[in-house]
Amino acid sequence: MVRCGERPPYLILYRVIELNRLTKRYGDTLAVDDLSFKIEPGHVTGFLGPNGAGKSTTMRLILGLDSATSGQALVNGRRYTSLSRPMREVGALLDASAVHGGRRAYDHLLCLARTNDIGPTRVAEVLEQVGLAGVARKRVGGFSLGMKQRLGIAAALLGDPGTLMFDEPVNGLDPDGVRWIRDLMRSMAKEGRTILLSSHLMSEMALTAERIIILGRGKLIMEATVAELTERYPSLEDAYLALTASSVEYGAAR
Amino acid sequence: MRTILSSEWLKLRSVTSTYQALGVAALTVVLGMIWTFYVSGLADERGALRAAAPEQGFLPLIQISLAVLGVLAITAEQASGMIRTSLTVVPNRGTLLLAKAGVVAAVTFVAANSIIVLTYVTSRLIAGERHLQFNESSLANDLPMLLASGLSVTVLALVGLGLGVATRSTAAAIVSVVSLLFVLPGIANYLPAPWNTRVAALMLPNLVPQIADQRLSRRLGDGFLPPWAALVVLAAYAIVALAAGFYLFRRRDA
Repeated sequence: MVRCGERPPYLILYRVIELNRLTKRYGDTLAVDDLSFKIEPGHVTGFLGPNGAGKSTTMRLILGLDSATSGQALVNGRRYTSLSRPMREVGALLDASAVHGGRRAYDHLLCLARTNDIGPTRVAEVLEQVGLAGVARKRVGGFSLGMKQRLGIAAALLGDPGTLMFDEPVNGLDPDGVRWIRDLMRSMAKEGRTILLSSHLMSEMALTAERIIILGRGKLIMEATVAELTERYPSLEDAYLALTASSVEYGAAR
Repeated sequence: MRTILSSEWLKLRSVTSTYQALGVAALTVVLGMIWTFYVSGLADERGALRAAAPEQGFLPLIQISLAVLGVLAITAEQASGMIRTSLTVVPNRGTLLLAKAGVVAAVTFVAANSIIVLTYVTSRLIAGERHLQFNESSLANDLPMLLASGLSVTVLALVGLGLGVATRSTAAAIVSVVSLLFVLPGIANYLPAPWNTRVAALMLPNLVPQIADQRLSRRLGDGFLPPWAALVVLAAYAIVALAAGFYLFRRRDA
């Protein structure tokens, strides 16, 4: 039998995030309101919306960190909390500064890796890949935001997962890092992975994402390809501003 | 479970606060030596005297510092947001909490017993043939008290862990542990008889002598719990705190 390095195609079919009438209510406010969409492999899906639109909440709901008021989020057809080795299926970076400042970068990653039976060789590999190999033995507390973003990306990559979610990963990165992360996302998507990327940087999003999902006040405003949007509007930024104009909650007078 | 235990073990090992807590607890050995030198000096002047055993007198120091270790095992993650990363790689909250409890229990049990035995041995060596009362009983006689003391430290650390999970606050959890150890027993002493004895017998620090079948204090007379019942009550402290923590941990959004 011939064995090839690629994953068998049936696995690729399952690299899907599916939201089914997902709703999250905090007291009186609906943070996520009856949200249904599907994120598929092969391209970067951009996740846009004003502050408070529910992007981060949606990501937390997908990861089972918050429990949905109703509806469900499925990863590869299953609820995230039912995965036994979740790092091998989904990698996520939600908040780069959510690390123990007193722990060394290498130890931080090894703590995470061990839970999913991932060895120290892989830890060294991802540290090399994100460019932190030189500071692996330094305490994370002394890292800049950009370095913490790289550490968070390293953590997401540990299990070599087919699905990746990144919440504002470009914040704090230098131009070199911004270029690096763009290339990384695009090449991982090309490998057949599913990538969900939230960002407020429209120009960056236009360069990285192929499909766009726009949220406003917890609701789905628009699901389209970047090409479709830039055809109808002068730029992605104009499209975004026009589409979200009525759902900006925290904004200066325009 | 094995993989998650090894991750939690590394988490504890890779932060300085663990060594600080262990270091403060280990000060007991030094304080015990100073105390024994002091009372030995007095005994050389006056002949026989009745001095408290240092491993009993300084036990609260071990209890408090290792309870802080138990508290920090969870609140450090909650304060930094690391808990969300931990729950992303280990979505089963019961498993995560159980692994933390296992590692905290093992580390504090070994540390407490080593410190207590070391304090015991050094103080007896220093005391020599002097008549200090505490050095005049046999090891077989003292053993139940030593074991009960070590066990009480582990229980306090688990109570700290449970309260840390429940309160999500380092300060609140430490204050609660201090109340259990110092404030509530103090209040119990001043209840009208016979309630002072009845309530005091259930207080955490008073369970240690009752497990070893010894008198509580002159004021309170003999404790009214037989050793096995005192042991059950001691275990109940840890179980109740952990169960309360788990109940809230499972229900709340991370």
